[in-house]
Amino acid sequence: MLSDKRISILIDNMIWIILLVVFTFFVFQSEHFLTERNISNILTAAAVLGVLVIGQTFVLISGNFDLSTESTLGLAALMGLWLIVPAGAPTFGGGVFLNPYLSIAATLATGAAIGYVIGVLITFGRMHNFIVTLAVLLIIRGFMLAFSEGAPVNGFNNPDADVFYWLGHQTAFVLPGLGKITVAVVATGLLFLIGHFILKHHRFGRELYAIGGNRDAAEAMGINTERRIRQVYMISGLLAALAGWMLAGRVVSIQSNLGEGFIFTVFAGAVIGGVSLQGGRGTMLGALGGVLLLSTIDRGLNLMHVSVFWVKVIQGLIILIAMFLDAQRARLSELNLSKAIEKSKESG
Amino acid sequence: MSYLELQNVKKSFGAINALQGVDFQIGAGEAVGLMGDNGAGKSTLMKIIAGNVQPTSGQIFVDGEDTVFASPLDARKLGIEIVYQDLALCDNLTAAANVFLGRELQAGFGQFHKLRHAAMNRRAAELFAELKSETRPHDLVEQMSGGQRQAVALARTRLSDPKLVLLDEPTAAISVRQVAEVLARIAQLRDTGHAVILVSHRMGDVFEVCDRVAVLRRGRKIADKPIGDTSLEEVTGLITGALEEA
Ligand SMILES: Nc1ncnc2c1ncn2[C@@H]1O[C@H](COP(=O)(O)OP(=O)(O)OP(=O)(O)O)[C@@H](O)[C@H]1O
Ligand SMILES: [Mg+2]
Repeated sequence: MLSDKRISILIDNMIWIILLVVFTFFVFQSEHFLTERNISNILTAAAVLGVLVIGQTFVLISGNFDLSTESTLGLAALMGLWLIVPAGAPTFGGGVFLNPYLSIAATLATGAAIGYVIGVLITFGRMHNFIVTLAVLLIIRGFMLAFSEGAPVNGFNNPDADVFYWLGHQTAFVLPGLGKITVAVVATGLLFLIGHFILKHHRFGRELYAIGGNRDAAEAMGINTERRIRQVYMISGLLAALAGWMLAGRVVSIQSNLGEGFIFTVFAGAVIGGVSLQGGRGTMLGALGGVLLLSTIDRGLNLMHVSVFWVKVIQGLIILIAMFLDAQRARLSELNLSKAIEKSKESG
Repeated sequence: MSYLELQNVKKSFGAINALQGVDFQIGAGEAVGLMGDNGAGKSTLMKIIAGNVQPTSGQIFVDGEDTVFASPLDARKLGIEIVYQDLALCDNLTAAANVFLGRELQAGFGQFHKLRHAAMNRRAAELFAELKSETRPHDLVEQMSGGQRQAVALARTRLSDPKLVLLDEPTAAISVRQVAEVLARIAQLRDTGHAVILVSHRMGDVFEVCDRVAVLRRGRKIADKPIGDTSLEEVTGLITGALEEA
């Protein structure tokens, strides 16, 4: 029999085993899978998702949710380009001709501000995080429609839009076996490292785990829990805007529905990677595993020419499996707790 | 002069008047037992002194100075440590992480800090050894027995050299051997010029280690006298309501 501790270590690292199995499966299914081009594609696709998942991981560990990031991502992409390209066909911008760097700064600031407002509504307003972030998701979507008036904004042949393509598309360097590594991949990798450091080795991360584990206890130990929650939503909003900047450089034109439905993938990535929806549990590296798994599956199915119908079904199943694992983890810790109580009764 | 003095402290939670004007004081080198029936307001009083609950009205003097605790950190800064009745532990963190929660050991410069995991684990292990507890610093609190959890909460009060230690039922879940350890620690604190308030339902403990006993009933202090001037029978009567006041 495996001890509880071993089981929980196994569950915590399951993601890398699953990733290996799935990866191997696709290697045998498609000769195009293990090619530099495909690996490069998987990583690049993982970059945007990864940035959102990093933000969501912070939020989840603090025991909160942020449904709004898919909209913030869309808004940032749309707004970033809209501010620099000419009005009217074919670019459908705002004709503001803002300096592209200022435009990026403005979108990042907007993302952080959206997060801050959410944090204020939840902490000062004592509103439920689910409802607040859902409402913000809808509101931002509305703003996007108003911005673009339904027409797709694009940066065709516009040198000012280069700063978007740089983050979204530009090759940073070429690695043998892995192919082109884009700036986006390097940036996301760095962010995962920073996120990992903060969660594991910095007081800020430690406090987030405490808040997610037992908010009253964290409060009693002098942690300013409300302030931390506002900060966590700010980080999430900022990263969503960054992901928007990254995505804007990859899609040809930006529709007002950019990013719609993406939030499910974000949650799936985090939860499959071992980040718990009940708060206080999970690691940044686990979340990275979740992101890599999802984009591997996505590309693999794509190469196997699986129909869109099945892709949707499989994505739904993956989310269910992720939730199932999360529930099992919670049950495991309850088991531990009841055993501990038994033990104390015996000794007491 | 007393280290801590409360004047006419009241606390209501909505319609519940948990404390209805309590005066209390404690000086250095004193150990006071605080007793009372369930719901009498003992924990509420402890939380107010620890800065975790703000009183509805009334005043708190620390070293003679009128003080307002905006957060538990303010109380901690003035040397007040507490073991909460519910222990205030995070199940998802290790024993060491819980001990140091809110005052982690860090290394670094300027705004850049890094947690000193090894140092915290070492110090926590020492504290558990002092408490004669089997608790291991790396273990997650959720995997611990009730006594081990209590040891984690007790270890927190030993991180600094406090002036006043509040213990809200610190012995409810621990073994006989560990109870003796906690009582010895209370005596030692008192003898070294610290102030201790012990909330307990175990009258024997209070009579063994405290100089004074105060009794709360329904949010009012109905007795406060030296242990030598009272008896187990009188205190029992006061707690149960058989005696009105003493
Ligand atoms: N956060 C709160 N919200 C509402 N009511 C509260 C709260 N905390 C305490 N009370 C109420 O205040 C009263 C006093 O509670 P308190 O916890 O101080 O009692 P106690 O003397 O510590 O009891 P016990 O011996 O059971 O620990 C009770 O009626 C309780 O229901
Ligand atoms: Mg109590």
